[in-house]
Amino acid sequence: MSAKAATRLHSKQPRLLALAALFLFFQTAALSLANGTRIHSETLQLDWLVFVPYFVWLGGILVLHKAVRRKLPNRDPWIFPTFTALVGWGLLSVWRLSPSLGQKQLGWFLVGCALFWLGLNTNRLSRLLKRYKYVWLLIGLLLIGLTFIVGVNPTGAGPRLWLEAFGFYFQPSEPLKLLMIVYLAAFFADQIKPNITLLGSVLPTLIVTATAGFLLIGQRDLGTASLFICLYVLMLTVTTQKRRFLWLIPLAGIVAGLIGYFVFDVVRVRIDIWLDPWAQASGNAYQLVQAQIAIAAGGLAGTGPGLGSPLFIPVAVSDFIFPAVAEETGLLGSSALILLMLILVVRGISIAQSTKTTFGRYLAFGIASYFGLQTFFIVAGNLGLLPLTGVTFPFFSYGGSSLVTNLIAVMLLLKISSELAAEPLPEPVRQPYRWVAAIFLILFILVIAASSWLAIIRQEELLAKPENPRWAVYDRYSPRGRILSQSGEELAITTGEIGSYKREVLIPSLSNTIGYTSGLYGQDGLELSQYQWLRGYSGRSYDTLWKYQMFYNQPPPGVDIKLNINASLQTTADALLGEEKGAVVLLNATTGEIYAMASHPYYDANTLTENWEQLSQDADAPLVNRITQATYPLGTLVNSLGLATYYNWPQSAAGALPVAAGGEDEFCQAASTAYGEELNGYQSGCEAAALALIQNLDPVVFLDQLESFGLFSAPAFSLRTSAPGEKPDPAVIQTKPMSALEIQATPLQMALIAASITNDGLLPSPRLRNTYLAEDGQWTAFREGVFPVRVIESGAMDRLRTSLIGNDEAFWFQSGHAQTRDGKILTWYIGGTTEDWVATPLAIAVAIESNAPDLAQTIGSSLLSLFATE
Amino acid sequence: MSATAGLILRVLFLAFLYAFLALAMWMLWRSVVSKQVHQGNLAIPSLLLSSGIGAEPKIQSFAGVEVLIGRSLDCDFILEDSTVSSRHARLFYNLNQWWFEDLKSTNGSYLDGIRVEEPIVVKDNDEFYCGDAIFKIFIKPIEE
Repeated sequence: MSAKAATRLHSKQPRLLALAALFLFFQTAALSLANGTRIHSETLQLDWLVFVPYFVWLGGILVLHKAVRRKLPNRDPWIFPTFTALVGWGLLSVWRLSPSLGQKQLGWFLVGCALFWLGLNTNRLSRLLKRYKYVWLLIGLLLIGLTFIVGVNPTGAGPRLWLEAFGFYFQPSEPLKLLMIVYLAAFFADQIKPNITLLGSVLPTLIVTATAGFLLIGQRDLGTASLFICLYVLMLTVTTQKRRFLWLIPLAGIVAGLIGYFVFDVVRVRIDIWLDPWAQASGNAYQLVQAQIAIAAGGLAGTGPGLGSPLFIPVAVSDFIFPAVAEETGLLGSSALILLMLILVVRGISIAQSTKTTFGRYLAFGIASYFGLQTFFIVAGNLGLLPLTGVTFPFFSYGGSSLVTNLIAVMLLLKISSELAAEPLPEPVRQPYRWVAAIFLILFILVIAASSWLAIIRQEELLAKPENPRWAVYDRYSPRGRILSQSGEELAITTGEIGSYKREVLIPSLSNTIGYTSGLYGQDGLELSQYQWLRGYSGRSYDTLWKYQMFYNQPPPGVDIKLNINASLQTTADALLGEEKGAVVLLNATTGEIYAMASHPYYDANTLTENWEQLSQDADAPLVNRITQATYPLGTLVNSLGLATYYNWPQSAAGALPVAAGGEDEFCQAASTAYGEELNGYQSGCEAAALALIQNLDPVVFLDQLESFGLFSAPAFSLRTSAPGEKPDPAVIQTKPMSALEIQATPLQMALIAASITNDGLLPSPRLRNTYLAEDGQWTAFREGVFPVRVIESGAMDRLRTSLIGNDEAFWFQSGHAQTRDGKILTWYIGGTTEDWVATPLAIAVAIESNAPDLAQTIGSSLLSLFATE
Repeated sequence: MSATAGLILRVLFLAFLYAFLALAMWMLWRSVVSKQVHQGNLAIPSLLLSSGIGAEPKIQSFAGVEVLIGRSLDCDFILEDSTVSSRHARLFYNLNQWWFEDLKSTNGSYLDGIRVEEPIVVKDNDEFYCGDAIFKIFIKPIEE
């Protein structure tokens, strides 16, 4: 570089510093507004404390800048401004994640600045370093050795890598990295000579590196150990000018990984979560999975300083600070961060190529590699490109030892760079440097590509993962939509102030249907399935969504939705079912609209947190929605299903319809006394009748009919449904007809079959949602393209209804009972309206977990007839 | 209000962050361009040093770019004489020349009887005194 060109570049340095001071100021200011922004404050609400790290940083940097300008007029023009930007951004990031740790980090920054200044003013620093190389190394190794004896871990658990003095923690492996580089540089600068064999010249360094490596492995600080190996290999490559050493890195990585996998639990855990983080998303891989989600949450432009939720990543402030920065500044910010690091590394290597002394050359190269490797190791680990190594992210990760070491390393780099010769010290082969620089360039581009992959391409997928807890934050700052009954009574609403919004269910007995939303226990019911609407992602215009996202990083206020639930029928159903365990579901037989659904016992979503322990352990399973999730044996409800099959396929039956009477049990007796007609044994759920009927039917035809009724598939519904039962083997039904009574069904499935009986063989889809309140203020129907399906000929259903008609000719019904696995009696009731009914055609299913045929019938007939008066 | 201000600040943050990067990159580009113009010849003429002229000369050849001369064992060329400082002087290659630099030694270095105060260019057959020790420099020209 000509002197003139160099001067011109030097004159740009203050401009770079000013740009760094400005962009950090804007970030600080944005951060100070974050709390006001979150609560949509009308006025400018500033958090002044956030400016503390900014001004401390500015002060420290100004002092250093002055010293650097005086002491090192010929320094490299990039290193100091880039370092300035990185360290400021780092301090701010730590403060944002934890102001208390941020304060400590500021203290360490000042310590680092003092040492930086001291180093600048030590004239023979590099000579001291070189001459006493073994002393420095020994100090480093001794400190590491000391951690074996008096080591502590500030968190109280985990590897004891720290030393404690006066309440301050110090991690000797951080300065050891730098001391190691100094030693290697000094050694290689002296020893690599043509007349000494390669082995002879590297053997001492090999021993020293291996010693340090084993000490670190003994301390289970495997990340630092692998960093040492890579550093050593890189330095060996440039000092011996032999490029082939580079292959040692991947080779050693694979060998060490394989050995580690079988020897160290830590390594195995880390490799396992690296290979498949989602398999252990709530266990060992929790941190990694949360990191990936955080990067996705940042997207391209980020949530804005202070507006994201990076604290969902455990201990984000140390190892996982990169994803935390990526969430709030987006891919744009995180890529810029990587580029800043790249500038530092590339300039470091460049200084190595153009400095005056061999020691300075190797030292600069070592420091540049140290920054480059460390950045790649940790960021690639955060992104899932490499197994996690737990090294710190230079200038960013919380930790005094690391920050101070980084500052000293930058100071050394600056000092070396100021010794730049007008004409660089020639090196016979320059290629190794270029190779290493190219490798770092490729690695850093890879890191940016991987960030983009997570932040842009996989964004939607990652944010939709159940492991993403951000909805819990949104719930506090943006009201969910209300859930209303068909006629507009409020069923669930959002109450409280912005920042502490809470969800309230106004008809607690509907909790199993409405569900809950709790930061602790997650979401369930409609709160979960209708999340997109209630949270406002669906049903709002793109403009609204964009505006809220951009300004507040929040979803807009949610959309109100109306259910088909009729509040008064619902209350009646609850009252009728009372203390009994069981389920009632009443629906429109044509459209599948659900008017009432009661599941008892139920929980109260408003007191979920207080009662969670008890609720989740309760043997009566109050958290289960019995309508969709309880699978009950069909029992003698097979009577209706068998009759329907018989009427539809009479030719497949073995003979005429058997007369159902004369059984021993009370249900058959009840039939003969109550109605006296030959078919009433079927209607009252006589077991003997069921047996005779099934034996008379072709099991293949019978099971196919059950399949058409949807017994072996889960209905598409807005609530979670239990897995459908398996279709039994016809041969089993043939040899053991009674096993047909054990086929499982949910009350919802039975209600739908009842609807198909009422509806002449058309089986509707169940519909809980009615309309949503669109942005134009109109209640708009949900677009649901599911239409009733013909499952049987209408003639067959017509005959079935006639067979099952009750005292009131407007209704049909069948009572049934079943024996559950634990030997208890379960009562069933299905019913519906006939063609004599003039209003909406209805269907109902009742299941009670005790022997209560009268109650079941009362509930069924009352709800059906009540509808007329509604 | 906070939200609008915050959004503006965020945009400014990104704008100035990228302005920083753009300026730094531009500077890098400039430096690469100017370096290409000035890239010199990289081959180095190798050096042969011979000490103790007379009785038993010690001859050593060097292929590197820096030779440290002194009494201590970490020097490249060791002169065992009590008047030689532990790190007495060094030879280094710069601007296509070999240079000699005295490292503030106790007894000083001399070329043709003149004390060396600052780095000087050396040529083939130069004889230096480091204290009382004498050594001679041979520079092997670059093979074309």
